Amino acid sequence: MKKIMAQAWKEFMLFRRDKLLILLAVLMPIVLMSLAGGTQSLRLRNVPLLVYDYDNTPLSRTYLETYGAALTFHFTPHAPDESPESALNSWRGRAALIIPQNFERDVHRGDAPVVQLMIDATDSNAATALGNYAQALNTSFAQKSGIGRIPPKLVKMEQRLWFNPGLSNPVYFGTGALGLMLIIFPALLGALTTAKEYEMGTVIQAYASSLTAVQWILGKAILYVAIGLVDLVICFTLGLIAFGFRFPSDPTVLLVATVLYLMGGVFFGMMMGNATGNQSAAIQGVQMGSFLLSLLLSGYLFAVRNIPVQIRWISSFLPATHYIGVVRNSVLRDVGWATSFQPIVALLILAFSFFALNVIQMRKMQFKA
Amino acid sequence: MPAAIRRYIALTTKEVQQLRRNRVLLIQLMLPPTIVLIIFGFALNPKVRDLRLGIVDESLTTESRGFVDSLTQNVDFEVVGQYRRAKDAEDALRSLDLDAFIVIPADLGRGQTASVQVVVDAVDANTAQITQGYLGVALEEYNLSGGGGGGVPPEKLRAGPMLVRSAHPTPPPGVPQVRPAYIYNPGLVTTWYYVTGVMSIIMFINASLVASAFAVKEKETGTIEQLLMTPAQTGEMLLAKTSPVFVLMMVVLFAALIVGMLVFGLPVRGALWLFTVAGGFAALAGIGIGVMVATVSRSQQQAQLLTFFVNPPITLLSGATAPLDNMPEIFQKLSYIDPLRYMVTIVRGVTLKDSPWSALWPNLLALAIFSIVLFAISAWRFRKV
Repeated sequence: MKKIMAQAWKEFMLFRRDKLLILLAVLMPIVLMSLAGGTQSLRLRNVPLLVYDYDNTPLSRTYLETYGAALTFHFTPHAPDESPESALNSWRGRAALIIPQNFERDVHRGDAPVVQLMIDATDSNAATALGNYAQALNTSFAQKSGIGRIPPKLVKMEQRLWFNPGLSNPVYFGTGALGLMLIIFPALLGALTTAKEYEMGTVIQAYASSLTAVQWILGKAILYVAIGLVDLVICFTLGLIAFGFRFPSDPTVLLVATVLYLMGGVFFGMMMGNATGNQSAAIQGVQMGSFLLSLLLSGYLFAVRNIPVQIRWISSFLPATHYIGVVRNSVLRDVGWATSFQPIVALLILAFSFFALNVIQMRKMQFKA
Repeated sequence: MPAAIRRYIALTTKEVQQLRRNRVLLIQLMLPPTIVLIIFGFALNPKVRDLRLGIVDESLTTESRGFVDSLTQNVDFEVVGQYRRAKDAEDALRSLDLDAFIVIPADLGRGQTASVQVVVDAVDANTAQITQGYLGVALEEYNLSGGGGGGVPPEKLRAGPMLVRSAHPTPPPGVPQVRPAYIYNPGLVTTWYYVTGVMSIIMFINASLVASAFAVKEKETGTIEQLLMTPAQTGEMLLAKTSPVFVLMMVVLFAALIVGMLVFGLPVRGALWLFTVAGGFAALAGIGIGVMVATVSRSQQQAQLLTFFVNPPITLLSGATAPLDNMPEIFQKLSYIDPLRYMVTIVRGVTLKDSPWSALWPNLLALAIFSIVLFAISAWRFRKV
């Protein structure tokens, strides 16, 4: 134990001297988390809508008001002779609403006029949502102005949105961002510290000392897990302030999961450092292996369920997948051990396997040296 | 041949040889566009599949069964549990066995309007909205069909990504209809949006990473002193250092475009030369950022850490993964100082939209200004190394 602490102390002294690293350790989580949590919103609002009202009657204007009153759309002007195609082509709007001539007359006659909505489907996800939304507005227009014969309602929907009643996106992405932040930095530091020892050749000293592989690895890891915990405090505070996190009623779940997660990250980084023995290659490895894969496949952006089966299995080997699940469970759903037990076991297994791989790598090296 | 050009050629030859020897770097450069792009393209999918729906049926009548059928027919809702009491369904939702459940009241089908309760796990706001939207449409359809029609007629199903297979209810006769036309992407292929974004990201990030590694290497190994003693100017040195990277990045960009076209069926509707020019400027901007980072750092390690710190904001603010319109005001404003934003716009404008020149040139101009300024700053900083 003493030896482990001595090793950790040595690491701390090294870390303290690198001003850039300290600065990054504090700044990176704050800046990245605000960006990762704040920018990735899939909610539509203020979509610029071009209006072509060829009827220009009281009824067509009432129809337009239905769209104007909705927060999703806002009307945007266009030149009088500009066709909807060219306006959409030039990004002057994301959709164009075209009301045909004789709209009012046709409605009064009982012929259903067809209003066209041209949607820029470059972002197909948003486009479908807009299309559906327009249908809903259309129906509500018909109901409000008493057009047509609408059968009596058999059912009406009464909805309750649990855990996130405001359907807030920052809450969802903020929790995911927390998970991402905690994997990037500790893993990077772990990779750097081991790779550096190889580059400088000081790893020979570790071999020559009475330290065992396990002690060497743990000594290094303790410091970086501790730094990760500091980052957790920073990120969580930011989450409470900016992303509407709630303090979980049972914080032990989150704490245990975080420690395991950080261990997984650090051990993974050290593994990359051991394997490459070269700082820049190790950074690249961490960037690919932990950051990029976690960003894509951990459920930070889109639910893991949406990933095609062929590559979905990768996400169960990512600590981030399990950790983000635990964070969402405790911060948003506020459910305790029972629900989070399974991901925590997964985290434990992953952390331990990365650790075991490290030990195996070190043992091999020691025989070689 | 003027001396400057001879020196440039000599220096470039040196860089190319160094690059050729660095197999790891070459692999790192050439793999991403193919593999990452494919993974990204498939993984980034906001489409919601297999929502797990629970049902609490307090009515237990033919009507209620017909209602459940109408909800689940033709749709990716999977009914995973029937519960007797709402409490059981709540517990299932809490332990993540369900995504949503509905409670059908006992008075369904007794003449008056029955309130069906829908409870959705809204942690993932996007999925929740989709669930809500679908259930709304299905209920509407049920209402309009007078309770008799089971489900949504198949011919009206649209394989859209937002609502799993969203259908639009038929309005009753005489009511105006709104007919959406999905232009540029009538098949509503989700991947196009992400593939075009990721293509630009990969190129930009690689350019900055490699350029910074390249620029700092001489400093680290101390060979920069030797270079500074040669008659070559710093500008020539920088040009010679970055031109192989530039060529490589253009190869990467086109490899990405070809992968996009072959694997994802990405259309190229606009002018390819515009794509090429924009790609060139974006590569220059990326290289500029990389060199700038290199000049402030003392070692390769620091340089790479810094690029690691600089690149994610550039990626996130560019609108490549989430539409800019959806971002909060402050992030939208910030995105104007992100060179990648203009690149993404041009790539989408050329591939998906065939945007007119009048809409694209401001973006191209902004990109050009960014790349020239960044490159000039990095040349100036490089001199002071």
